[in-house]
Amino acid sequence: MSVYKHNYRAYTGRLTPLWTRVLVLARYGLAEVWSSKITIGLFTLSFLPTIVFIILIYLANNPIARALILHGNDARDLSINAMFFLVVLEIQCWAALAITAWIAPRLITFDLADNALPILLSHPISRFGYVLGKFAALFGSLSLVTWVPCLLLFVYQGYSSAQPWAAANLQIASGLLFGSILWILMLSILGLALSSWVKWRAVATGIIVAAVFVPSGVGGIITGVLRTKWGFLLNMPFVMTQLWRRMLGAPELMWRDETIPTAAIVIMLLLVCLLCAAMLNARIRAREVVRG
Amino acid sequence: MGINHPIDETLHHKDPPAGTTVSSLATPVIDLDRLEVRLGGRTVLDGLTGELRGNAIGLLGPNGAGKSTLINTLLGFHLPSRGTAKVFGMDAVRDRARIRQAIGYMPENDSFIGNMSGVHFVRYMAELSGLPSNEALERAHEALFYVGLGEVRYRKVSTYSLGMKQLIKLAQALAHGPHLLILDEPTNGLDPMARQRMIQTIQEIRKEGSIRMLISSHLLLDIDETCDEALILKNGRIAALCNIEEERRSHRNFIELETIGAADSLAEKMRELGCECACFPGGRVKIVMPDQIEARDLYTVAAGQGVQIRRLHQRRDSLEDIFLRAMDNDRDSETKREEQLVGL
Repeated sequence: MSVYKHNYRAYTGRLTPLWTRVLVLARYGLAEVWSSKITIGLFTLSFLPTIVFIILIYLANNPIARALILHGNDARDLSINAMFFLVVLEIQCWAALAITAWIAPRLITFDLADNALPILLSHPISRFGYVLGKFAALFGSLSLVTWVPCLLLFVYQGYSSAQPWAAANLQIASGLLFGSILWILMLSILGLALSSWVKWRAVATGIIVAAVFVPSGVGGIITGVLRTKWGFLLNMPFVMTQLWRRMLGAPELMWRDETIPTAAIVIMLLLVCLLCAAMLNARIRAREVVRG
Repeated sequence: MGINHPIDETLHHKDPPAGTTVSSLATPVIDLDRLEVRLGGRTVLDGLTGELRGNAIGLLGPNGAGKSTLINTLLGFHLPSRGTAKVFGMDAVRDRARIRQAIGYMPENDSFIGNMSGVHFVRYMAELSGLPSNEALERAHEALFYVGLGEVRYRKVSTYSLGMKQLIKLAQALAHGPHLLILDEPTNGLDPMARQRMIQTIQEIRKEGSIRMLISSHLLLDIDETCDEALILKNGRIAALCNIEEERRSHRNFIELETIGAADSLAEKMRELGCECACFPGGRVKIVMPDQIEARDLYTVAAGQGVQIRRLHQRRDSLEDIFLRAMDNDRDSETKREEQLVGL
């Protein structure tokens, strides 16, 4: 083929390795996500708390600056410890939920709205590869607002502190990393699974937010009516806070009868992920088979 | 770092040497061996067996015959419940990725990403097929100019007309330089001008010779104008598998009759004389006569059976006749099967 001659010519050049096709999907997914000004706005907003936390760490480690800015007010609340990083993690992770609700539908619904799956999957990419590519785009984007800024804050605190702070608080670093990764893994698969069942982006965004908060209400009703703590298992903000607290080594503040065993939380998260995988398996197909 | 995919090595070994026709190749384009596909508890393809070696293979059949299911099986979208399907000797299940590397697929229905520009969409598809980013962009431009969408390549695909959407599906199927182009109802929904343009493009690709084609259609004319081999399906079974040119050559003495009277008995008598006959409603009879039988014999038999010949038309055998005969044969064999079952 030539633009001017309008003749067909076969392609004889080199081909990329098969495994890199997943990266093509991820790259085009990211391009689609970042083409929206709302995405840029959301990411900018999600970095604002990080800037505030940087200032707080600076003040906590700099008595002169603290004295100048706080004018001699009590600065005991400014201690940088596991509780401080728990707040950081919570804020960043809930920002990640807002971003997921916006970008997960953009990754999937454009393909579904125009029935692009038969063409996409007729190329050398499997259904698993397709989901993995979209998942990588979402996971990478969410990493930017969760474990990356959290660990940067940890490093900054380690650098700013006069004492050998970082070595003594490695549990906080691992808690920030693995707590964030656990959360964004679940958000990514949940976001993709729910988006794959809805063709309209606005509806998909609402459903993703609702999927986190509506079960919390149901869990609250179960807890109230049946007087059992297991209803809290449906309360995602509650169980994740408990899990993060344990991962960071922060003190437990809740009543003893409200605590949920870590194993139960992990099983619940696994079940959510399995359900999402089943939803994706049912929906991401080149052809639907009509029974009967 | 760039590597050649194994498919390329496989296919390059199978490329014909100069002067060799594609049909003489040892490896068929498509090889079906007792292929059975069951979907939703229903047998959609029922024991298909055959080798397709043509440059352009037409896949014909009435709606629901199993044409799209066969294509989806070759692409690995559906798994065979029994038997095998091979493309260039590669198994449709085991070598799915290699087959998809070698295939350009244009689906029947709308299938695109509407919020992408034409060139962005084709480039995306070419990259998924393994072309490096820069080459994919270059080929996307070329493919779009080749199919006639050069001037609108920066417009969003969702703003394209139906004809343009068909063409962009063709462009993305061509961009990565496939060895086999699968076109599922390529002229669906096109106006006569757009249809003619699509047919011309397909004919050009066929003439170029480096791509083999599998074209599915229920429009006989499309297949007649573009293909050299036809696989006719009916109710998930092969009703006929023929070389269109050879069929035409072998049926030069072809007569179409309009009769009044017992056309069936006339056909029966003509069959006894060695003719091939097919009866149609309204007393229409089509007869393929061997060289030793003359028109005089036809009149004699008709007179003997009390059949009036109201019109006699001698003409070239068309794909329509091949198709109708295949349908008729299939109907006959079904009737015989039913009779055998009743007898039992």
